[in-house]
Amino acid sequence: MSSVRETAGDDPALRVEALEALLVERGLVDPGVVDDVIEHYETSVGPLNGAKVVARAWSDAPYRERLLADATKAVAELGFGGTEGQMIVAVENTPSVHNVVVCTLCSCYPWPVLGLPPAWYKSPAYRSRMVAEPRAVLREMGLELPAEVLVRVWDSSAEARYLVLPERPAGSDGMREGELAKLVTRDSMIGVARALPPGETGGRA
Amino acid sequence: MSRGTAIDADLEGSVSPPRDNGEIVFAAPWERRAFGLTIALCRSGACDWEGFRTRLVARIAERQSRPYWSSWAAALEDVLDDSAALARAQIDVREREFAARPHGHDHHH
Repeated sequence: MSSVRETAGDDPALRVEALEALLVERGLVDPGVVDDVIEHYETSVGPLNGAKVVARAWSDAPYRERLLADATKAVAELGFGGTEGQMIVAVENTPSVHNVVVCTLCSCYPWPVLGLPPAWYKSPAYRSRMVAEPRAVLREMGLELPAEVLVRVWDSSAEARYLVLPERPAGSDGMREGELAKLVTRDSMIGVARALPPGETGGRA
Repeated sequence: MSRGTAIDADLEGSVSPPRDNGEIVFAAPWERRAFGLTIALCRSGACDWEGFRTRLVARIAERQSRPYWSSWAAALEDVLDDSAALARAQIDVREREFAARPHGHDHHH
């Protein structure tokens, strides 16, 4: 053998192409299914699902209770779930407690409700620093928290993938679920931002 | 499922979802492919999700500076090699064959 690769060496594209060709030849994978999976995660599964969950929780007190008691089940009520997203745990922000989520080991993330994690979520810097100095990292990401607010950092794993239930923004009384969902950003459900105040959604690109 | 219908109707169609959440998560087509292959294999039972996750954790820990999707692809090879579904040496052979293709056939669709 001319060279022993670690893996996906100098041309990862070629490597993955070779891998797929072999898997298809052996009947282990159907390329059409792979296409469907990718399409599903790129378009159907995204933070909008989580936004719907949060908007429902803000509007429907019994649903909020169910979400906090068993998020996997509550999320399934809205039709979201799947084998890769089991064990979702919702943690609620309050005026005195702010929750933020990280996966220190890899990139565990509640895919069915948030889609695929953003690049920064997977970065070594975020994974290590959010545990060591959460307030500083949050400040750098644009979220300044008052000193009296307790910050809880949740380490996601396969056993528990955390979803932050952000605080309902002031001035959103009387808004319908569909309108409320537009205030809920992906970052607010990771806990690195607040939900948007009403009136700011129109300006979002 | 039925409970989601009303809000779905509010948010889809003419009211488009917020787009500031639409961060690009794949920088290259092979990354997208490696992801799709892994999930498809786990769904069909050819690959065990928890086993894959464990290997991904190990690959990331092994070299923090390695790009995320490279660790992912390495972990996929690990689980396939472990379960004897596909030996790494066979991928090496096929990769070399692909690399030797005449110019014009060396691009990726």
